[in-house]
Amino acid sequence: MPENRDPVVHLDRQFWIVTAVLAVLALISILWWVWAPITSIMPEAVDKAQQIDALFRFLAASGTALFIFVCGYIVYFSLAFRRHAGTPDDAVGIQIHDNNKLETWWTIVPTVFVVIMAIFSLRIWYGIEVAPNNTLVVEAIGHQWYYTFRYPNVNGEISEMHLPLGQPVTLHVTSSDVIHSFWIPAMRLKADMVPGLINTFEFTPTRPGKYEIICTEFCGTLHGEMHSGTTQNPAYVYIDQPATYAAWYARTERQQIHASNAIAAPVSPNQLKLNGGDPKAGAKLFAAKCSACHAIGPFDQRIVGPGLRGVLNDPAHPQLVDGDKATPENVAKILENGFKGSIGQMPNQAANGLSNKDIVNLVAYLKTLK
Amino acid sequence: MAAAAIHAGGGLADHIHPEPQGFVRKYVFSIDHKIIGIQYMITAFLFMILGGMLAELIRVQLMKASGGLMTPETYNEVYSVHGSTMVWLVIIPLLTGGFGNLIFPVQIGARDVAFPWLNMLSFWLFPPAGLMLYASFLMGAPTAGWTEYPPMSLQGGAGTSMWAAAIFLIGVSSTMTGINFLVTILKMRAPGMTFTRMPLFVWGQFVTAPLLMIATTALGAALAALFVQRQFGVAFFDPTRGGSPLLWQHMFWFYSHPAVYIMILPAFGMISEILPTFSRKPIFGYKMIAFSSCAIAILGFMVWAHHMFTSGLAPALQLPFMVLTMLIAIPTGVKIFSWVTTLWGGVIHMTTSMMFAIGFLATFTLGGITGVFLAAVPFDLHAHGTYFIVAHLHYVLVGGSLMGILAGLFYWYPKMSGRLMNETLGKWAFWLFFIGFNGTFLPMHWLGMWGQPRRVAMYDPQFQAWNQVASYFSFVMTAALILVLVNALWSMRNGKRSGPNPWNARTLEWQIPSPMPYYNFKHVPSVFAAPYDFAEPLPYRGLEEELDGAPPPVPAAH
Repeated sequence: MPENRDPVVHLDRQFWIVTAVLAVLALISILWWVWAPITSIMPEAVDKAQQIDALFRFLAASGTALFIFVCGYIVYFSLAFRRHAGTPDDAVGIQIHDNNKLETWWTIVPTVFVVIMAIFSLRIWYGIEVAPNNTLVVEAIGHQWYYTFRYPNVNGEISEMHLPLGQPVTLHVTSSDVIHSFWIPAMRLKADMVPGLINTFEFTPTRPGKYEIICTEFCGTLHGEMHSGTTQNPAYVYIDQPATYAAWYARTERQQIHASNAIAAPVSPNQLKLNGGDPKAGAKLFAAKCSACHAIGPFDQRIVGPGLRGVLNDPAHPQLVDGDKATPENVAKILENGFKGSIGQMPNQAANGLSNKDIVNLVAYLKTLK
Repeated sequence: MAAAAIHAGGGLADHIHPEPQGFVRKYVFSIDHKIIGIQYMITAFLFMILGGMLAELIRVQLMKASGGLMTPETYNEVYSVHGSTMVWLVIIPLLTGGFGNLIFPVQIGARDVAFPWLNMLSFWLFPPAGLMLYASFLMGAPTAGWTEYPPMSLQGGAGTSMWAAAIFLIGVSSTMTGINFLVTILKMRAPGMTFTRMPLFVWGQFVTAPLLMIATTALGAALAALFVQRQFGVAFFDPTRGGSPLLWQHMFWFYSHPAVYIMILPAFGMISEILPTFSRKPIFGYKMIAFSSCAIAILGFMVWAHHMFTSGLAPALQLPFMVLTMLIAIPTGVKIFSWVTTLWGGVIHMTTSMMFAIGFLATFTLGGITGVFLAAVPFDLHAHGTYFIVAHLHYVLVGGSLMGILAGLFYWYPKMSGRLMNETLGKWAFWLFFIGFNGTFLPMHWLGMWGQPRRVAMYDPQFQAWNQVASYFSFVMTAALILVLVNALWSMRNGKRSGPNPWNARTLEWQIPSPMPYYNFKHVPSVFAAPYDFAEPLPYRGLEEELDGAPPPVPAAH
């Protein structure tokens, strides 16, 4: 389209008044985002949270300002250039095609903005990805549907996460089953927990308190329960004063020596006497520990695992998942050792928190299901 | 024959195949691009009703923090099928197979697409694929969302394999459509229809077609791998046996990010037609709009991993993906500024179609801005996987693509039916939709920022109030869409007769009768300028006989 064909355009006073009004609105929105009381809604628990909030304020301020200009002009043009009742049908608008100067400017300005944004993001990103020396390394592991944690020199996996104030932390996250995500909104940080992969981020706690951990990657039936508000295994991170943390750490270290011994020596299946179980107690246990994955229904009524109504009485399914015959002893064996295979997995006795007595009661209950 | 075909007055041969008689060849197994386009639209709108019902189930479920309506398992099936439906059975088919088929061949002065039989095959893979997706409900539908990340999708019910097969099939259909459209645009333009004279809707289809062709094959490979792992145990995605869960994510997003542009570039094209027509002004910055579409399509292939910033990407990879993603803001911004400037100095006819197009500008801009936020890795670390993402993606897919589709529906409806849709009902529908849409999805921004993860059947009770607001507004939005549907059905018989060119538009489809005749053009026209100069005479030659009611030339003998 040859440029010289276009009429010369003069912007009228009304346009500049509108532009001035929009500029004032945009300025107000920028000031609002600079001032916005983000921390009164969501505390900033770590150093990175402050940086990410600063980035968010920058993004939100520029985004809102841009949005105000675009929408303001849309509304203004739509009203100002609307066809009036008397306008003839064949009336046409101002036949302009192009304006190189204008188009150059609205390419350059966003480009500059993008460069600023990229540099701003990069600097924060560098701090999250690149850890300093001498950090406390904590490992978080996702499971369906709870989190466990490992600490240096602490045996086994524990269910609480404590961090000392002011100490740089490197967090490693991974998963034992499907992909979960580890998000602490108060830290503004998250990483996916991917089986077979360790993801890492680095931060320094700056504010003591108890903060929620939320799973943000869909991980199965109870994904929505995998946070502190509703889950049976509340997921919190506690940021403690260094002395409090040290005491917690010493206590945990001692406790876990015993815990890991108990896990290390499972009772062999033949030693469990299965008679004398209480089916009523078993039913309660089933509701608390098993019903998230197993329905009390026919085999095909699958939640995560199969329905268990006929587990000991179903001629169509005479075998258990591990290929053994469906006998009470073999069911007890799976309850003790758990199961891991290509079609899925089930936690073992220790992970499920079942005592030997519990297993006996559960088997007694399963026998009653026909 | 070819030598005689290109003559001075008009263009290609007046070689017209006889119109098939008989219901089946005419309306069912048709090879006419217009009938196929309408078939696509009807099928896609039917699936939209199903997908919309699933959406309302989601919103009703989320009115209570404890999740009142469904078990988590059912809820997971519902949102997974909702997402899959809306992406693969509604938005993509409507924009490419539907409006693409119906309009762009006429806009380039062609009598049909390059491969009409392939076109028919493309369409006829679509309904079976949709039925397969819904049949998965009978065997335990997929639960891991429309993205179906393994290992989660390996745990899903038997329907997950059915899902993979269904999406594979619709992918084959998309690929064929892409090839067909690309060849059509490259080879079948009327004489004089150079690239810089093509309507911008054609440009939209032109850059979308390679995306359909290239990206969809990556999706096909991913789906096949998932299917093979689920059915035969080959461990593509199982880390304990040497596979990688991230492999799926890379393959999936290598498709699904370009798919985002498949779902928006044709809508950009529609907006670029509708805004100048109802402003009575040339589109501002034609070349920049066309060029920015190409830039978006090319960049669109290089940004897929921005969906994976939290997944475990090598740090050195995050940076280029972040910067390239941010770069997309530049051509997108150019488009938005050009559209807004197109309104300036116009004589704006505020029709329903124009209102939807202007509504698109506002809502898509917001969706684009939050997209730039998410490109910034540190911010994404907070917002990823939350309702902020749900808000963002609905702003671009509903506030963008669907608004474009609705604008296009009101705009091109006369070319399908010969009648106009009712404007009063249409304007009601617009306002209800605009208010309902923003009321539904705007609160999700802060819900996500404050800590509500996506894909949850129950949530923290502190978020209940805003979730209820979203749900109530979603009812308003649904009412608006029902109103559009009723309007479309009612107008088929009772709408005002439109005549060939009710909007005084200048592209070629408006220069022939409504509904468009089987052969499109009695004589293929020749073109000597871009179509947007409203003060000039039409830039076509050879159209004199199109509207005179004379019979079409005698079909060529075979």
